[in-house]
Amino acid sequence: MDGKGDRARCRSCGTRVVRRRGRLFVSSTSHGTHEVNASKLLQNIDLHEDFSDDAFRPAAGFAQSARVLVAWRDKEEAIWYKGILRGFSETMAPEARGTVAADRDEVRIEAPSARSGRWSYLELRAVQASSSSLQLSLPGDRLVQLRFSADSPRRWEEMLRALVRDAYRRAGRGAVLEFQPRIETAASSAADRS
Amino acid sequence: MSASASAWYPCLRWVAKALSFTLVRLDVRGLENVPRSGPCFLIANHQSVLDPVLVQGACGRPVHSFTKSGQFSSSGRFVRWLLLRVNAIPVRRYRIDPQAVRTALRILEAGGVVGIYPEGERSWDGTLQPLRRGTVRLILKAGVPVVPCGVDGSFGAWPRWTRRPCRVPVRIRFGRPLRFERHDTRAERDAALDGALEQLTGVLARLSEQDVPLTAAAAATTAASETATAVPATR
Repeated sequence: MDGKGDRARCRSCGTRVVRRRGRLFVSSTSHGTHEVNASKLLQNIDLHEDFSDDAFRPAAGFAQSARVLVAWRDKEEAIWYKGILRGFSETMAPEARGTVAADRDEVRIEAPSARSGRWSYLELRAVQASSSSLQLSLPGDRLVQLRFSADSPRRWEEMLRALVRDAYRRAGRGAVLEFQPRIETAASSAADRS
Repeated sequence: MSASASAWYPCLRWVAKALSFTLVRLDVRGLENVPRSGPCFLIANHQSVLDPVLVQGACGRPVHSFTKSGQFSSSGRFVRWLLLRVNAIPVRRYRIDPQAVRTALRILEAGGVVGIYPEGERSWDGTLQPLRRGTVRLILKAGVPVVPCGVDGSFGAWPRWTRRPCRVPVRIRFGRPLRFERHDTRAERDAALDGALEQLTGVLARLSEQDVPLTAAAAATTAASETATAVPATR
Protein backbone atom coordinates (compact mmCIF):
# COMPACT_ATOMS: atom_id res chain seq x y z
CA MET A 1 0.00 0.00 0.00
CA ASP A 2 1.06 3.56 -0.69
CA GLY A 3 -0.56 6.36 1.16
CA LYS A 4 -0.49 9.63 2.96
CA GLY A 5 -2.78 11.17 5.56
CA ASP A 6 -6.26 9.74 5.27
CA ARG A 7 -5.81 8.03 1.89
CA ALA A 8 -4.05 4.86 0.75
CA ARG A 9 -3.88 2.91 -2.48
CA CYS A 10 -2.91 -0.68 -3.17
CA ARG A 11 0.05 -0.87 -5.54
CA SER A 12 -1.02 -4.14 -7.11
CA CYS A 13 -4.79 -3.89 -7.57
CA GLY A 14 -5.45 -0.15 -7.33
CA THR A 15 -8.00 -0.44 -4.51
CA ARG A 16 -8.29 2.79 -2.55
CA VAL A 17 -8.90 3.14 1.18
CA VAL A 18 -10.11 6.44 2.57
CA ARG A 19 -10.59 7.43 6.20
CA ARG A 20 -13.41 9.93 6.63
CA ARG A 21 -14.71 11.13 10.02
CA GLY A 22 -13.42 8.03 11.79
CA ARG A 23 -14.93 5.65 9.23
CA LEU A 24 -13.15 3.60 6.58
CA PHE A 25 -14.27 3.30 2.98
CA VAL A 26 -12.85 1.00 0.32
CA SER A 27 -13.20 1.76 -3.40
CA SER A 28 -12.39 -0.66 -6.18
CA THR A 29 -13.42 -0.85 -9.81
CA SER A 30 -14.98 -4.27 -9.30
CA HIS A 31 -16.97 -3.65 -6.10
CA GLY A 32 -17.57 0.12 -6.03
CA THR A 33 -17.33 2.00 -2.73
CA HIS A 34 -18.38 0.56 0.59
CA GLU A 35 -17.64 1.03 4.29
CA VAL A 36 -15.48 -1.58 6.00
CA ASN A 37 -14.80 -2.61 9.55
CA ALA A 38 -11.19 -1.92 10.56
CA SER A 39 -10.55 -5.49 11.76
CA LYS A 40 -11.87 -6.99 8.54
CA LEU A 41 -9.83 -4.59 6.44
CA LEU A 42 -6.63 -5.60 8.23
CA GLN A 43 -7.43 -9.27 7.75
CA ASN A 44 -7.73 -8.77 4.03
CA ILE A 45 -4.75 -6.64 3.15
CA ASP A 46 -1.04 -7.12 3.38
CA LEU A 47 0.02 -3.85 4.95
CA HIS A 48 3.76 -4.16 5.01
CA GLU A 49 6.73 -6.45 5.08
CA ASP A 50 6.53 -9.19 7.64
CA PHE A 51 9.17 -8.64 10.32
CA SER A 52 7.38 -10.79 12.86
CA ASP A 53 9.03 -14.02 11.72
CA ASP A 54 11.81 -15.14 14.07
CA ALA A 55 13.73 -16.31 11.04
CA PHE A 56 14.05 -12.75 9.67
CA ARG A 57 17.62 -12.28 8.45
CA PRO A 58 18.53 -8.82 7.15
CA ALA A 59 20.85 -8.85 4.15
CA ALA A 60 24.31 -7.29 4.49
CA GLY A 61 23.21 -4.16 2.63
CA PHE A 62 19.95 -3.77 4.55
CA ALA A 63 19.23 -0.07 5.13
CA GLN A 64 16.12 1.91 5.96
CA SER A 65 15.66 5.55 6.89
CA ALA A 66 12.83 7.94 7.60
CA ARG A 67 12.25 11.56 8.48
CA VAL A 68 11.17 11.99 12.07
CA LEU A 69 10.54 14.52 14.80
CA VAL A 70 12.96 13.68 17.59
CA ALA A 71 12.22 14.36 21.25
CA TRP A 72 14.44 13.38 24.16
CA ARG A 73 13.21 12.87 27.68
CA ASP A 74 13.86 16.04 29.58
CA LYS A 75 12.99 15.07 33.15
CA GLU A 76 10.81 12.89 35.31
CA GLU A 77 8.50 14.27 37.94
CA ALA A 78 6.77 12.68 40.88
CA ILE A 79 2.97 12.41 40.72
CA TRP A 80 1.33 12.94 44.09
CA TYR A 81 -2.32 12.61 44.98
CA LYS A 82 -3.71 13.35 48.44
CA GLY A 83 -0.20 13.39 49.86
CA ILE A 84 0.68 9.93 48.54
CA LEU A 85 3.24 9.23 45.85
CA ARG A 86 1.34 7.66 42.99
CA GLY A 87 4.22 7.28 40.52
CA PHE A 88 6.41 9.17 38.08
CA SER A 89 5.84 10.81 34.73
CA GLU A 90 8.29 11.89 32.05
CA THR A 91 8.41 15.22 30.26
CA MET A 92 9.79 15.34 26.75
CA ALA A 93 11.93 18.17 25.38
CA PRO A 94 10.61 20.06 22.32
CA GLU A 95 10.68 18.06 19.10
CA ALA A 96 13.41 18.65 16.51
CA ARG A 97 13.46 17.62 12.87
CA GLY A 98 15.78 14.77 12.06
CA THR A 99 16.18 11.34 10.54
CA VAL A 100 16.36 7.81 11.84
CA ALA A 101 18.32 5.20 9.92
CA ALA A 102 18.69 1.50 10.57
CA ASP A 103 21.01 -1.02 9.02
CA ARG A 104 21.92 -4.55 9.97
CA ASP A 105 24.13 -3.53 12.91
CA GLU A 106 22.97 -0.23 14.36
CA VAL A 107 20.36 2.48 14.52
CA ARG A 108 21.30 6.12 14.00
CA ILE A 109 19.43 9.24 14.98
CA GLU A 110 20.51 12.52 13.45
CA ALA A 111 18.91 15.79 14.42
CA PRO A 112 20.84 19.02 13.83
CA SER A 113 19.15 20.90 16.67
CA ALA A 114 18.98 18.02 19.18
CA ARG A 115 21.20 15.22 20.38
CA SER A 116 22.29 12.70 17.74
CA GLY A 117 23.92 9.33 18.08
CA ARG A 118 24.28 5.75 16.95
CA TRP A 119 23.69 2.61 18.96
CA SER A 120 24.21 -1.05 18.19
CA TYR A 121 21.09 -3.15 18.67
CA LEU A 122 22.75 -4.85 21.63
CA GLU A 123 22.87 -1.46 23.40
CA LEU A 124 19.15 -0.75 23.12
CA ARG A 125 17.27 -1.24 26.40
CA ALA A 126 13.68 -1.22 25.07
CA VAL A 127 11.79 -0.68 21.82
CA GLN A 128 8.12 0.21 21.90
CA ALA A 129 5.43 2.22 20.20
CA SER A 130 3.67 4.89 22.22
CA SER A 131 0.52 6.33 20.64
CA SER A 132 1.74 7.32 17.18
CA SER A 133 5.43 7.48 18.13
CA LEU A 134 8.26 5.05 18.60
CA GLN A 135 10.26 5.11 21.83
CA LEU A 136 13.77 3.76 22.26
CA SER A 137 15.31 3.32 25.70
CA LEU A 138 19.05 3.83 25.49
CA PRO A 139 22.04 3.26 27.75
CA GLY A 140 22.38 5.74 30.60
CA ASP A 141 18.63 5.74 31.31
CA ARG A 142 17.96 7.90 28.26
CA LEU A 143 14.72 7.86 26.31
CA VAL A 144 14.16 9.16 22.79
CA GLN A 145 10.81 9.45 21.07
CA LEU A 146 10.47 9.44 17.28
CA ARG A 147 7.39 10.74 15.51
CA PHE A 148 7.27 9.74 11.86
CA SER A 149 6.10 12.28 9.33
CA ALA A 150 5.66 9.87 6.39
CA ASP A 151 6.14 6.38 7.74
CA SER A 152 4.53 4.03 10.20
CA PRO A 153 5.69 3.74 13.83
CA ARG A 154 4.23 0.24 13.82
CA ARG A 155 6.40 -0.75 10.86
CA TRP A 156 9.50 0.70 12.51
CA GLU A 157 8.70 -0.97 15.81
CA GLU A 158 8.42 -4.35 14.11
CA MET A 159 11.51 -3.76 12.00
CA LEU A 160 13.74 -2.64 14.89
CA ARG A 161 12.53 -5.52 17.03
CA ALA A 162 13.39 -7.93 14.21
CA LEU A 163 16.85 -6.35 13.92
CA VAL A 164 17.35 -6.61 17.68
CA ARG A 165 16.33 -10.28 17.60
CA ASP A 166 18.79 -10.87 14.78
CA ALA A 167 21.62 -9.06 16.60
CA TYR A 168 21.01 -11.02 19.81
CA ARG A 169 21.00 -14.26 17.84
CA ARG A 170 24.26 -13.40 16.07
CA ALA A 171 25.88 -12.43 19.39
CA GLY A 172 24.81 -15.73 20.96
CA ARG A 173 22.58 -14.05 23.53
CA GLY A 174 19.59 -16.24 22.73
CA ALA A 175 15.99 -15.48 21.93
CA VAL A 176 14.41 -12.21 23.03
CA LEU A 177 11.36 -12.83 25.23
CA GLU A 178 10.03 -9.27 25.23
CA PHE A 179 10.98 -5.72 24.26
CA GLN A 180 9.41 -3.60 26.97
CA PRO A 181 9.80 -2.38 29.66
CA ARG A 182 13.23 -3.73 28.79
CA ILE A 183 14.66 -6.22 26.36
CA GLU A 184 14.61 -9.52 28.18
CA THR A 185 16.09 -12.85 27.17
CA ALA A 186 15.95 -16.18 28.95
CA ALA A 187 19.57 -15.64 29.98
CA SER A 188 19.02 -12.13 31.39
CA SER A 189 15.94 -13.35 33.26
CA ALA A 190 17.98 -16.17 34.84
CA ALA A 191 20.72 -13.70 35.77
CA ASP A 192 18.14 -11.54 37.60
CA ARG A 193 17.12 -14.53 39.71
CA SER A 194 20.62 -15.33 40.87
CA MET B 1 -3.26 4.29 51.62
CA SER B 2 -7.01 4.05 51.46
CA ALA B 3 -8.34 1.76 48.78
CA SER B 4 -11.40 3.95 48.41
CA ALA B 5 -11.56 5.97 45.25
CA SER B 6 -11.41 9.73 45.02
CA ALA B 7 -14.63 11.53 45.90
CA TRP B 8 -15.00 12.30 42.22
CA TYR B 9 -14.91 8.68 41.17
CA PRO B 10 -18.64 7.85 41.48
CA CYS B 11 -19.59 10.94 39.44
CA LEU B 12 -16.94 10.25 36.84
CA ARG B 13 -18.02 6.62 36.65
CA TRP B 14 -21.53 7.72 35.76
CA VAL B 15 -20.10 10.02 33.11
CA ALA B 16 -18.10 7.07 31.77
CA LYS B 17 -21.21 4.90 31.80
CA ALA B 18 -23.22 7.52 29.94
CA LEU B 19 -20.40 7.95 27.42
CA SER B 20 -20.16 4.19 26.98
CA PHE B 21 -23.75 3.85 25.93
CA THR B 22 -23.53 6.94 23.74
CA LEU B 23 -20.33 6.09 21.89
CA VAL B 24 -20.92 2.37 21.32
CA ARG B 25 -23.69 -0.22 21.54
CA LEU B 26 -22.52 -1.78 24.78
CA ASP B 27 -23.33 -5.25 26.09
CA VAL B 28 -21.88 -6.12 29.53
CA ARG B 29 -22.06 -9.59 31.02
CA GLY B 30 -20.60 -11.46 33.97
CA LEU B 31 -20.52 -8.55 36.43
CA GLU B 32 -21.44 -10.98 39.20
CA ASN B 33 -17.92 -12.41 38.78
CA VAL B 34 -16.33 -9.25 40.21
CA PRO B 35 -15.91 -9.81 43.98
CA ARG B 36 -17.97 -7.32 45.99
CA SER B 37 -15.12 -6.73 48.41
CA GLY B 38 -11.50 -7.61 48.98
CA PRO B 39 -8.41 -7.11 46.86
CA CYS B 40 -8.29 -8.29 43.28
CA PHE B 41 -6.77 -7.60 39.92
CA LEU B 42 -8.99 -6.75 36.97
CA ILE B 43 -7.16 -7.61 33.76
CA ALA B 44 -8.51 -6.81 30.32
CA ASN B 45 -7.36 -6.94 26.74
CA HIS B 46 -6.73 -3.53 25.17
CA GLN B 47 -8.18 -2.77 21.76
CA SER B 48 -8.97 0.91 21.96
CA VAL B 49 -8.59 4.12 23.89
CA LEU B 50 -12.23 3.60 24.87
CA ASP B 51 -11.48 0.47 26.93
CA PRO B 52 -10.76 2.15 30.30
CA VAL B 53 -13.94 4.21 29.96
CA LEU B 54 -16.01 1.14 29.08
CA VAL B 55 -14.50 -1.21 31.65
CA GLN B 56 -14.39 1.23 34.58
CA GLY B 57 -17.86 2.49 33.70
CA ALA B 58 -19.17 -1.07 33.75
CA CYS B 59 -17.33 -2.36 36.82
CA GLY B 60 -19.26 -1.82 40.03
CA ARG B 61 -16.14 -1.21 42.14
CA PRO B 62 -13.61 1.61 41.93
CA VAL B 63 -10.69 0.45 39.81
CA HIS B 64 -7.14 1.81 40.07
CA SER B 65 -5.81 1.32 36.54
CA PHE B 66 -2.24 1.33 35.30
CA THR B 67 -1.92 4.22 32.85
CA LYS B 68 0.92 5.23 30.56
CA SER B 69 2.97 7.77 32.50
CA GLY B 70 3.34 10.11 29.53
CA GLN B 71 -0.38 10.86 29.70
CA PHE B 72 0.18 12.73 32.96
CA SER B 73 2.55 15.24 31.39
CA SER B 74 1.83 15.36 27.67
CA SER B 75 -1.94 15.62 27.62
CA GLY B 76 -2.44 18.84 29.57
CA ARG B 77 -3.48 19.81 33.07
CA PHE B 78 -7.12 18.78 32.75
CA VAL B 79 -6.23 15.25 31.66
CA ARG B 80 -3.79 14.95 34.55
CA TRP B 81 -6.44 16.21 36.98
CA LEU B 82 -8.93 13.74 35.53
CA LEU B 83 -6.56 10.77 35.55
CA LEU B 84 -5.83 11.19 39.23
CA ARG B 85 -9.53 11.34 40.03
CA VAL B 86 -10.26 8.15 38.12
CA ASN B 87 -7.56 6.46 40.22
CA ALA B 88 -4.98 6.13 37.44
CA ILE B 89 -1.58 4.78 38.46
CA PRO B 90 1.22 6.19 36.28
CA VAL B 91 3.51 3.50 34.94
CA ARG B 92 6.66 4.14 32.95
CA ARG B 93 6.62 1.64 30.13
CA TYR B 94 10.13 2.39 28.85
CA ARG B 95 11.78 1.01 31.97
CA ILE B 96 11.00 -1.23 34.91
CA ASP B 97 8.91 0.88 37.27
CA PRO B 98 9.14 -0.27 40.90
CA GLN B 99 7.00 2.63 42.12
CA ALA B 100 4.03 1.47 40.03
CA VAL B 101 4.41 -1.98 41.61
CA ARG B 102 4.60 -0.47 45.13
CA THR B 103 1.49 1.63 44.51
CA ALA B 104 -0.43 -1.38 43.18
CA LEU B 105 0.55 -3.57 46.13
CA ARG B 106 -0.47 -0.85 48.61
CA ILE B 107 -3.88 -0.59 46.96
CA LEU B 108 -4.32 -4.37 47.10
CA GLU B 109 -3.25 -4.45 50.75
CA ALA B 110 -5.99 -1.94 51.45
CA GLY B 111 -8.56 -4.16 49.73
CA GLY B 112 -8.79 -2.30 46.41
CA VAL B 113 -9.05 -3.32 42.77
CA VAL B 114 -6.06 -2.82 40.48
CA GLY B 115 -6.83 -2.71 36.77
CA ILE B 116 -4.17 -3.75 34.28
CA TYR B 117 -4.12 -4.08 30.52
CA PRO B 118 -1.43 -6.76 30.46
CA GLU B 119 -0.64 -6.38 26.77
CA GLY B 120 0.99 -3.10 27.79
CA GLU B 121 -0.41 -1.14 24.84
CA ARG B 122 -3.40 -0.90 22.56
CA SER B 123 -3.58 -3.54 19.87
CA TRP B 124 -2.73 -2.35 16.36
CA ASP B 125 -5.08 -4.80 14.66
CA GLY B 126 -7.59 -5.84 17.31
CA THR B 127 -5.89 -9.13 18.11
CA LEU B 128 -4.61 -10.07 21.54
CA GLN B 129 -0.92 -9.17 21.91
CA PRO B 130 1.54 -11.14 24.07
CA LEU B 131 1.03 -10.36 27.76
CA ARG B 132 3.83 -8.56 29.60
CA ARG B 133 5.84 -10.90 31.76
CA GLY B 134 6.28 -8.23 34.42
CA THR B 135 2.52 -7.95 34.82
CA VAL B 136 2.21 -11.68 35.37
CA ARG B 137 5.07 -11.54 37.89
CA LEU B 138 3.15 -8.85 39.78
CA ILE B 139 0.05 -11.05 39.80
CA LEU B 140 2.10 -13.96 41.15
CA LYS B 141 3.72 -11.72 43.75
CA ALA B 142 0.41 -10.43 45.07
CA GLY B 143 -1.47 -13.76 45.11
CA VAL B 144 -4.92 -12.14 45.05
CA PRO B 145 -7.85 -13.16 42.79
CA VAL B 146 -7.61 -12.09 39.16
CA VAL B 147 -10.82 -11.16 37.38
CA PRO B 148 -10.34 -11.51 33.61
CA CYS B 149 -12.27 -9.14 31.38
CA GLY B 150 -12.64 -9.60 27.63
CA VAL B 151 -13.37 -6.59 25.43
CA ASP B 152 -14.60 -7.39 21.96
CA GLY B 153 -15.53 -4.81 19.33
CA SER B 154 -13.88 -1.68 20.67
CA PHE B 155 -11.18 -1.96 18.01
CA GLY B 156 -13.87 -1.54 15.38
CA ALA B 157 -15.32 1.35 17.41
CA TRP B 158 -12.10 3.34 17.65
CA PRO B 159 -8.95 1.71 16.26
CA ARG B 160 -5.61 3.13 17.22
CA TRP B 161 -5.16 4.87 13.91
CA THR B 162 -8.39 6.84 13.58
CA ARG B 163 -9.34 10.12 15.18
CA ARG B 164 -13.00 9.55 15.95
CA PRO B 165 -15.10 6.67 17.25
CA CYS B 166 -17.88 5.04 15.33
CA ARG B 167 -20.92 3.49 17.01
CA VAL B 168 -20.66 -0.28 16.74
CA PRO B 169 -21.51 -3.16 19.12
CA VAL B 170 -18.97 -3.73 21.89
CA ARG B 171 -19.15 -6.69 24.25
CA ILE B 172 -17.52 -6.76 27.70
CA ARG B 173 -17.32 -10.11 29.47
CA PHE B 174 -16.14 -10.48 33.07
CA GLY B 175 -14.91 -14.01 33.70
CA ARG B 176 -14.80 -15.97 36.94
CA PRO B 177 -11.87 -14.99 39.16
CA LEU B 178 -8.66 -16.95 38.67
CA ARG B 179 -6.59 -17.75 41.72
CA PHE B 180 -2.83 -17.90 41.60
CA GLU B 181 -0.82 -18.85 44.63
CA ARG B 182 1.32 -16.13 46.15
CA HIS B 183 5.02 -16.53 45.25
CA ASP B 184 7.37 -14.61 47.51
CA THR B 185 10.64 -15.04 45.66
CA ARG B 186 11.62 -14.12 42.14
CA ALA B 187 12.72 -17.72 41.48
CA GLU B 188 9.28 -19.05 42.48
CA ARG B 189 7.52 -16.46 40.37
CA ASP B 190 9.65 -17.27 37.34
CA ALA B 191 8.99 -20.98 37.78
CA ALA B 192 5.24 -20.33 37.69
CA LEU B 193 5.43 -17.59 35.07
CA ASP B 194 4.95 -19.48 31.82
CA GLY B 195 1.98 -21.48 33.08
CA ALA B 196 0.24 -18.38 34.45
CA LEU B 197 1.01 -16.47 31.27
CA GLU B 198 -0.63 -19.11 29.16
CA GLN B 199 -3.67 -19.40 31.41
CA LEU B 200 -4.25 -15.66 31.39
CA THR B 201 -3.73 -15.44 27.63
CA GLY B 202 -6.20 -18.25 27.07
CA VAL B 203 -8.86 -16.74 29.29
CA LEU B 204 -8.53 -13.26 27.78
CA ALA B 205 -8.62 -14.69 24.26
CA ARG B 206 -11.73 -16.68 25.02
CA LEU B 207 -13.54 -13.82 26.73
CA SER B 208 -12.70 -11.44 23.89
CA GLU B 209 -13.71 -14.07 21.36
CA GLN B 210 -10.33 -14.51 19.72
CA ASP B 211 -8.53 -17.61 18.55
CA VAL B 212 -5.26 -18.31 20.32
CA PRO B 213 -3.72 -21.79 20.28
CA LEU B 214 -3.75 -23.21 23.81
CA THR B 215 -2.29 -26.18 25.60
CA ALA B 216 -4.79 -28.60 27.13
CA ALA B 217 -4.20 -27.19 30.64
CA ALA B 218 -4.80 -23.62 29.56
CA ALA B 219 -7.88 -24.63 27.60
CA ALA B 220 -9.33 -26.28 30.72
CA THR B 221 -8.70 -23.17 32.84
CA THR B 222 -10.17 -21.01 30.14
CA ALA B 223 -13.34 -23.02 29.92
CA ALA B 224 -13.76 -22.88 33.72
CA SER B 225 -13.49 -19.12 33.71
CA GLU B 226 -16.14 -18.44 31.13
CA THR B 227 -19.02 -16.34 32.29
CA ALA B 228 -21.78 -18.39 33.84
CA THR B 229 -24.74 -16.43 32.64
CA ALA B 230 -25.97 -15.06 29.37
CA VAL B 231 -28.19 -12.51 31.10
CA PRO B 232 -26.85 -8.97 30.85
CA ALA B 233 -25.75 -7.73 34.26
CA THR B 234 -27.12 -4.45 35.52
CA ARG B 235 -25.11 -3.60 38.62
